Amino acid sequence: MAPNDTNDINRRTLLTYAGSAAAAVTVAGCTGDGNGGNGGNGNGDGNGDGNGDDEPFEIGVTMGQMDSGLDPQDHAETNTEIVVGQVYEGLLDRDKVGEIIEGLATDWERGDGNSVTFTLRETNFHNGDPLTAEDVKFSIERIEFEDVGIASPQAGDLGSVEEVEAGDGEVTVTFSGFNPIAFQLFATNGEIMQQSWVEENSRDYINQNTNGTGPFQVTEYDSGNEVVYEPYNDYWDGEPEVDELTMASSSESSTRVNRLLAEETDIVTNVPPNEVSRIEEEDVATVESVPSARIIFLQMRYDVEPFSSQEFRQAMNYAVDVESIIENVLNGFGEITSQPTLPEHVGYNPDLDPYPYDPEEAERLVDESGHADVEITLETPIGRYLRDVEIAQAAADQIDQLSNVSCELEQREFSSLVQDITTGDIEDKPHFNLLGWGNGEFDGSQTIGPLMTTGGSLTILENEELDQLMTDAENATDSDDRVEILQEANELAHELAPWVFLHQQFSVYGVSNKIEWEPRSDEFIDPDTATRQ
Amino acid sequence: MSFGRFVFTRSLQGLGVIWGVITVVFALRFVTPGDPINAVAPLDATQETRRAIAAELGLDQPLYIQYGQYLFDLMVGDMGFSYIKGQEVTGLVFARVPATVELAVTATIVAIALSIPLGVISATRRNEPVDYGATLFSLAGISTPNFWLGIMMILILAVEFGIFHTSGRETDLGDVVISVVGPEPFISTLASWLKYITLPSIALGTYFMALITRLTRSGMLDELGKAYVTASRAKGIPETLVRYKHVLRNTLIPVITVLGLQLGTLIGGAVITEAVFSWPGLGTLVIQSINLRDWPVLQGSLIVIGTSFVLVNILVDTVYAYLDPQVVYD
Repeated sequence: MAPNDTNDINRRTLLTYAGSAAAAVTVAGCTGDGNGGNGGNGNGDGNGDGNGDDEPFEIGVTMGQMDSGLDPQDHAETNTEIVVGQVYEGLLDRDKVGEIIEGLATDWERGDGNSVTFTLRETNFHNGDPLTAEDVKFSIERIEFEDVGIASPQAGDLGSVEEVEAGDGEVTVTFSGFNPIAFQLFATNGEIMQQSWVEENSRDYINQNTNGTGPFQVTEYDSGNEVVYEPYNDYWDGEPEVDELTMASSSESSTRVNRLLAEETDIVTNVPPNEVSRIEEEDVATVESVPSARIIFLQMRYDVEPFSSQEFRQAMNYAVDVESIIENVLNGFGEITSQPTLPEHVGYNPDLDPYPYDPEEAERLVDESGHADVEITLETPIGRYLRDVEIAQAAADQIDQLSNVSCELEQREFSSLVQDITTGDIEDKPHFNLLGWGNGEFDGSQTIGPLMTTGGSLTILENEELDQLMTDAENATDSDDRVEILQEANELAHELAPWVFLHQQFSVYGVSNKIEWEPRSDEFIDPDTATRQ
Repeated sequence: MSFGRFVFTRSLQGLGVIWGVITVVFALRFVTPGDPINAVAPLDATQETRRAIAAELGLDQPLYIQYGQYLFDLMVGDMGFSYIKGQEVTGLVFARVPATVELAVTATIVAIALSIPLGVISATRRNEPVDYGATLFSLAGISTPNFWLGIMMILILAVEFGIFHTSGRETDLGDVVISVVGPEPFISTLASWLKYITLPSIALGTYFMALITRLTRSGMLDELGKAYVTASRAKGIPETLVRYKHVLRNTLIPVITVLGLQLGTLIGGAVITEAVFSWPGLGTLVIQSINLRDWPVLQGSLIVIGTSFVLVNILVDTVYAYLDPQVVYD
């Protein structure tokens, strides 16, 4: 009896507590609501707007995705580059249109044979220690040689580095062969870290802290969510005008645009075409776009029918109305292409015109190729590139409208598509698929080489003439000669048509009217160049 | 079965479920398309670079060794190393837990604060306009997708009227607590926090609010028709006491059960709400990990979500069994 009684009393007591808690929660909830209303109405937004000159100049950047760690040598994607690139610098840099400019090297020249030499700037890391030639040597080796620290995903990005020598205020890099684009590679890749700082700290620490030489240093790091920076007062190129920089992310594009329109951020990336009008209708921000270094195309494998026929491949180019796709799917944010090299890149051939939209010619060429009434499937990644599925749908539909070709669309998870593309074996690759390629080196060889030559890591073409031209370009010591060879290679690629040449993707940003900032063609964001409006 | 044994059995079952969750989550990496190396290496990386990265990350080991190692590491509290972020997974995941718990608990509080009074009013004024209003409200709440509600609230209350922030979490509950004793003014810190938390809490809690309203209403109606209520009234006990002391208390037992279960669901189900509001919690981390193919972080996040769900369930079962003598411990 007694134990049961005790038990009953305990239950009742607990129920009483539960009831009281519910009542308390109700009261607390109601109180909270009331305060919320008052707080929201009465206190303004609490954000410094940065308009007055005596107000701190704070800039917020909202991207679709944050960094994947703060180690500048342990990643291979654009968003991380944007986040760490505020802090770390390479030996060379690029201006907004992609021209090579000084970075941590003040001078650079070719040596005898296969080497290049960089003269280093006298500057300090953010921890106050001076930049040394040993730090530069260590950084290059950490990227290129897996026995130095990490197996960097950037291995090979600086060319086939054989040896790095640290001299007195200069560093000499020797390649295994002549490297005609050494400076282009160093202008895009190879951020410099301090050797002792890297060696003294764990990988976990290096990915959450920074010690660079750039215009900003990190003050708060919330992995995957937000990074706050302050300007580095002793920056060699002068302290940036910005007093505080915040980089955050919103995977939802509508949320990014909402943040911009609510004046909670100043620059948002990857504004989709359907959100552009919403920004343009408001007077708090504008849309800025710039042709990026990314080309979008449909690649066709040369070794399988019907794509083994050059006529058929050319027919596909005539069948797709790229101008219409740019206008209707991309709201004009794209530029039609005629060749694998983009206009801003070395080796672009200005004499080549894009294939015109000509369905009759396409049908004629299909008949001529002997593949009339063929059925083909276009594979496309989902959500990897700006409106990729819609572009592929339009292209597949236009091809399907030819009287003698039937085309279906297959949507694929990007990781699954990449699995097939990156095995190194052409036979694993899809026959016909949409792909995008970013060429941060601004050199035509960095597109044609991996994507169109025999042995290229992602190639879908084997053509002796094109291979020879690219070999000639690689060995050309005169830059004018090299440009001519690359232009010839582009002309040949246009004729061979291993791709349906679609468009150059634009980078589209929403920019607050409070600031003046111009986007760059290499997709990097440089808030240190922003000024008050 | 004794109460202690009941708790022990439930805990053992919970452990089994957690082990199942770990195994399924681990296996997911190998049954979904795409090699994790592709997430780290650029498209044009050579096969040598890919092999080097795989070796460094231990991805070249046989599957059973990777699994055994993972289980062993988990037992010592190590969730592994994110090969994308180059950071310890345990730190990455647990850094996101407070934001998710804060959102889930606040959403629950908002839901309870509105739903129980609404349910009670609806039941006690059955077939009156207020009852129809509450029923319509709960129906709308259950039918409205929370992402749509979130986007609409952002557009109207944040972008258009500027009452709340559109997204983010720059002020958290910890800041509010610290402001009570710290140098920051309490009221403005509280106001700032409310501007961040209110919209996501409403978006996340609306479904729950509607559910509890309906549950409270039907529970109250059920209880009001029972003999003890008639007896209480016959004894002359005031109607207010009958309703709120006896009837509401009995109604709250199933509500507490649903409340516990839903809290678990809210922790795991906040993915979409967190994405819409860029709320830096576990849901956002899950989406980021999927986008980046960061399997170790995804595994860690799912295990934490699954484990918290199991723990909440065990807790609710235990409390329910303790509170309600009718529950048999078997």
